[in-house]
Amino acid sequence: MITVRRQVELETVFLITMAAAVSLFFVLYRNNNSQGQFNIISSIPFVSVPAEAISPQVSVASQISPDGTKKVIMKITENSDGTKTYDFSTSDENGTNKQYIFTKTLDSLSNMSVPFNTWSPDDKYFFIRESIAGNKGILVFNGSGISFADAESYLEAVDIFNQKNTGNNFDEATGWASETLIIINTKKQDGSKGFSYWFEIPSKAIIPLSTEF
Amino acid sequence: MGYKKVKKNRKTAWHYLKIYFVSVFVSLVIITIGSLFKPAPCANSATCKSDLAISVDNDAIGIFQGRKVVPPKVDLLAMETFNSSVLGAKVPSGKKHIYVDLSTQTLYAYSGNEKFMQALISSGKWGKTPIGNYSIWTKLPVTRMAGGQGADAYDLPNVQWVMYFYNDFGFHTAYWHNNFGYPMSHGCINMRLIDARQLYSWADGPTSDQKGTAVSTCNKFIEPNKCIQD
Repeated sequence: MITVRRQVELETVFLITMAAAVSLFFVLYRNNNSQGQFNIISSIPFVSVPAEAISPQVSVASQISPDGTKKVIMKITENSDGTKTYDFSTSDENGTNKQYIFTKTLDSLSNMSVPFNTWSPDDKYFFIRESIAGNKGILVFNGSGISFADAESYLEAVDIFNQKNTGNNFDEATGWASETLIIINTKKQDGSKGFSYWFEIPSKAIIPLSTEF
Repeated sequence: MGYKKVKKNRKTAWHYLKIYFVSVFVSLVIITIGSLFKPAPCANSATCKSDLAISVDNDAIGIFQGRKVVPPKVDLLAMETFNSSVLGAKVPSGKKHIYVDLSTQTLYAYSGNEKFMQALISSGKWGKTPIGNYSIWTKLPVTRMAGGQGADAYDLPNVQWVMYFYNDFGFHTAYWHNNFGYPMSHGCINMRLIDARQLYSWADGPTSDQKGTAVSTCNKFIEPNKCIQD
């Protein structure tokens, strides 16, 4: 009885030792092949860091004004923590007179974009779209970068719209009806198409329309 | 003593019925013939009958949707210079055809099967854009457009890069709005200045021996020569 138990214990020790030896050999072999030296600590971050992570991935998009003289430029930088930084600037069509406008960093569930009809017809204002965790909004800027009359650097049109309690929910801003009027389309509470409105920049008024846009 | 025969002149119901039917018939004939002479639709009612001439007015104020609009200053000489500068540019060969897809508010310009350009436009909202096959019958670098009624009345000087393809329905810039991709016009095809300029430089007006560039307005554009108009 005693002999059998000792034999079992010896076999167990032997197998564990063999496994440890094979594992050690494998680790040494792999480390030597990949880094040329035996260094277990340095082998932990084995996934090589891609070049993009060292220099963050950057993409640029722009939208020209209807008369072709001004541009809104959006630079998106993908940060290592998964967030994205959106930088907005304006310039002349040929890239001169570049003017920094705005920067915002958003999480991966949110985004910003420059719509096709971003510029007002006279190139004085432009708006950008944002979606924060599914909530749509638009930010309106002076094309020259200067603040609005009450020192606001931009106008959050949807916040102003929501304060009016129209009974409709903001759906989209399609473009400009005139030099100072942004067209806002809405949805009713049941999800069907609601009324259209104008958002007037100088007065920040929300003007209901009889026509749907 | 003789009797004087007095003719009775009593009118029967049948008599009145005959008059009624003749009246109805005459009315129907007049309405039918009259409808044949219905005036052609106009995009710009105030200028529809007048001469469509080159017009530059750099001091005028425009009106659109009841609001004042400041028109862009126009330098006719610079426009002509631009137009002649692009004439030598290399463009695809083949028969030119412009298609307007009203469902997607998109314009396509083709030389044969090769696409020259694609752009978002604004078609009729306060007036219907006609669907059909036409050709450009005149090109105007700049003109004045006016029309509409009441709150929809408009008067817009210095409208650039105009090409009419059916009566006074045409392609032209729209400096008073920037909502392309959505209907915004009284029947014309509104375009961004950069797009209208490019199209104007490429498209042909009529000559003595041939029509201008073909234009098809459709409910759905599929590909060249396949444009659904039902």
